[in-house]
Amino acid sequence: MIEFKDVSTIYDNDESIEILNGVNLHIKDGEFVSIIGPAGAGKSTLLRLLTREISPHRGEVILDGVNLAEVPSKAIPLLRRKIGTVYQDFKLLSAKTAFENVAFAMEVCGADRGEIESDVPKILGIVGLGDKLKSFPHQLSGGEKQRLAIARALIHRPRIILADEPTGNLDLVNSYDVVKLLMKINELGTTVILATHNREVVNAIGKRVISIEKGKIVRDQVENGKYVI
Amino acid sequence: MENFQETAKRVFNVGWTNFKRNTYLSMGTTGVMILVLFLFSGLMSLNYLASQIVSGLEEKVDVSVYFKNDASEEEINKVKSDLELLGTVKKVEYVSKDQALNEFKERHAGDTLIQDSLAELDDNPLQASLNVKADDSSQYASIVTFLEGNKFRSLVDKINFYENEQVIKRVLAISGGLRNWGFLLTMVLALIAVLVTFNTVRLTIYSQKQEIEIMRLVGGSNWHIKAPYLVEGGMYGALAAGIVAVIFYPAIFFISPKVESLMPGVSLISYFVSNIFQFVPLIFFIGILLGVTSSFVAIRRFLKI
Repeated sequence: MIEFKDVSTIYDNDESIEILNGVNLHIKDGEFVSIIGPAGAGKSTLLRLLTREISPHRGEVILDGVNLAEVPSKAIPLLRRKIGTVYQDFKLLSAKTAFENVAFAMEVCGADRGEIESDVPKILGIVGLGDKLKSFPHQLSGGEKQRLAIARALIHRPRIILADEPTGNLDLVNSYDVVKLLMKINELGTTVILATHNREVVNAIGKRVISIEKGKIVRDQVENGKYVI
Repeated sequence: MENFQETAKRVFNVGWTNFKRNTYLSMGTTGVMILVLFLFSGLMSLNYLASQIVSGLEEKVDVSVYFKNDASEEEINKVKSDLELLGTVKKVEYVSKDQALNEFKERHAGDTLIQDSLAELDDNPLQASLNVKADDSSQYASIVTFLEGNKFRSLVDKINFYENEQVIKRVLAISGGLRNWGFLLTMVLALIAVLVTFNTVRLTIYSQKQEIEIMRLVGGSNWHIKAPYLVEGGMYGALAAGIVAVIFYPAIFFISPKVESLMPGVSLISYFVSNIFQFVPLIFFIGILLGVTSSFVAIRRFLKI
């Protein structure tokens, strides 16, 4: 369970510039939540609070009953292993193959070779890249790159997936593929939080939609949401 | 999921890859480290030479007590016994007037002027003396004080030990000065080495910004992210130490005979060979310490997890 209690964040220690302003939010386990809003509304900030890349200036971000501000810095890597992240720019290593990109996420967490050899092909198979193990990112299409990024996010079997504009660099067909993949992951029980400015994507999903503008939640449509102005 | 062996292997592999990746930068960094370690080795050689010179000179220092001509051999022997009772005295040697004359003649056997002058004299002009050796050169002053306060003081004509003491003081002052300046120079170079390594590691961190970001996002532990840079820094030091060890010993092998011709009995090569198991690990320790410290500072400054 994720809870935001009166969360505010400021820009660069300047209290006059608030990015999020008194955000209250409750997300249940296994939910699929789309956060929609224009650029600069505070969508990415909201996600970064969950991975403890930043801490709130005021209020509390609570994950499974734990106030994230109180998580000691040593335990932050463990927190991040519970949360998979996907970004618009994929954040793939260009000098590594698809297999190596996913394996890298396991290596840096101390997995042994045997685990890597067995888990990576499986996860790449799940996202539909079973035949692209040896391909480098530049040999993959935009949609494939994003699926590879999703595979990497899934490798630690996270309970939450945070997707920050995952379709931002993709055409409509590939966007739809990625959204379908995220929905499939959600059906298997993983909480998915998708931040986007793309209304078509949100409407295609048809799940809970939270609209955010100038750092404030302006709308929270819980079921079968369609974003209509 | 954590596997220490795999982790250690990965940390060393990544550290080694970082080290290899920036060839020219790595060479420059290692070069500065080599300079520092060479200077440090030179300082050690200088220390050894200075201590050898000082101990050689100390061996030559003694107190010579010259007695008036009316002092009897029995009285001189009493002074000798008194001196031998002192805990600080190592050896006392009695040189009679005749013995002193014979030794003088032997010493100047080829000098006809001195031989002729001596022949013209009716009496033996030389004095009986006691040569006193102390356990430690710092104890001569107390021996002299003892002699000056002795009941036979009236028999003593003069006490002489100051010549060599001055030489020792000068050698100590020169070697102390050289050691201090050498130490200062080593420290300055060490600081430069730390700064150069710091910048090299900083550039590595900068060039791997994306990898570091991904490692953070996927939950890589601090150890996984930071340790390879510590290994990289340590490798600069270790390589520099290895090169210094390989070059230093042959260099000493060539220099040692030249030093020995100037200072007989002083062998640099045998000193460094007999201390090889202390010297080489020390050089490695200093090199690795410098490298790891620089990396540590760079990581603290530029790598926020």
